[in-house]
Amino acid sequence: MDNFTPDISEKLVQYLDGELTGNEKEELEQQLKSYPALQEKLDTLLAAKESIRLYGLKQKVAAIHHIIMDESEKPVKQINPVKRILRFSIAIAASIVLVYGAYMAYIFMTLTPEKVFAANFQPYELVTSRDIGIEDSPALRLYREKKYSEVVGLPYDSNSTIEEEFVRAMSFTELRNSEKAIESFKHVIASNENKSMKIYYDESEYYLALNYIRNKEYKNGLKLLNKIKENPRHLYYDKVSAKLLRKVKMLEKR
Amino acid sequence: MEVIRNFPDSELVANLRNGKKMDESIKTIYRSYFDSLSWYVMNNSGSRQDAEDIFQEVVVNFIDVVQKDKFRGESSIKTFLYSLNRFTWLNELKKRGRSLKREEKYEHEQDRVELDTSELMTEREEKATLTNLVAKLGQTCQKILILFYYENLSMKEILAVTDYDNEQVVRNKKYKCLKQLEKMINERPALKKILKNLLHG
Repeated sequence: MDNFTPDISEKLVQYLDGELTGNEKEELEQQLKSYPALQEKLDTLLAAKESIRLYGLKQKVAAIHHIIMDESEKPVKQINPVKRILRFSIAIAASIVLVYGAYMAYIFMTLTPEKVFAANFQPYELVTSRDIGIEDSPALRLYREKKYSEVVGLPYDSNSTIEEEFVRAMSFTELRNSEKAIESFKHVIASNENKSMKIYYDESEYYLALNYIRNKEYKNGLKLLNKIKENPRHLYYDKVSAKLLRKVKMLEKR
Repeated sequence: MEVIRNFPDSELVANLRNGKKMDESIKTIYRSYFDSLSWYVMNNSGSRQDAEDIFQEVVVNFIDVVQKDKFRGESSIKTFLYSLNRFTWLNELKKRGRSLKREEKYEHEQDRVELDTSELMTEREEKATLTNLVAKLGQTCQKILILFYYENLSMKEILAVTDYDNEQVVRNKKYKCLKQLEKMINERPALKKILKNLLHG
């Protein structure tokens, strides 16, 4: 028990709580200096305040401790093994679709008629086995020598052979003049109409299709390619792949 | 859904010192350090429950050190907490009459980190004795005293969260509760020395 009056005890608590000001505060501080027992009483109150603060802090940490422990102890939802395999498979399938989609998008964005043409074009080489004593015409000779500009510069008339017309069309193709090449290949095809023995017919259809593609006439190109693809006996049947048809269709849709 | 964020050391210390964003800051300490610190206890003769109790104590002590401006920031929070955790656990083992020889050796050889954590351990028992006294108060007294001295609420704010008629009634109740705690301290002469150490130590 202490021997202090209720009044001074109240004053000490007010001082502890920072509620004393002015003269009252100065007066109490003087008394604290003069009476060690009063200072000791204040120390006890300060310790009480400190213990409350610590207790409050402990409670706060304990409350958060429980929240954190509850979070970490939440059971992980078990997935049925069949469902897990199914989910895994779906995830893999989705990834493949995604990668394939991205690849196709890339192809779609970067695809050009020139790329399709270059990937499927092969220079045409004339057969060299000739009867002895028969010379090549100037057009064929110049073509063999890869002098394409000179080939197309030669006069062309009704006396020209289908072979000469074909190398003329191929020369325009080599010179990247698809419009003229298309025109020439059409003549080769037309010249073969109603003939039992067709010369450079299959070759012309294939190279005409490629020139249509390079010239952005995709519908005409596709029509010819599909015609070749429908005939297994066509010389260029193996050249027309599903990939080529798909790419031309993609170009058509752009 | 709660957004989880971690504070950098400087912000965390500032929050704890000013009593701002306390919940978030304490959660950050738990999420960042509980696993590694509890691993130490559990790998040195402690149970999971020991690890949790020690970590709680470490967090309380760390915040107390910060709020008393004794954390000088010369080491990282991580290093400081590791040191505190180790000392608290070794102290607990000694209290239980067990010790880890390897750890005792380690304790002596290890450089002292930040502030002398052994000093904190001396206070460990003293603080526990004091807080146990508060725990012996009735629920109403505990609530009012914590709201006023820990949460720093005004009488008006306390009135709003309690069933009392007016502020004066709350004030009287709070005074009586404090006097009750004072009486409990006075009834334990051995606590006088502890008080001096804590307040003027």
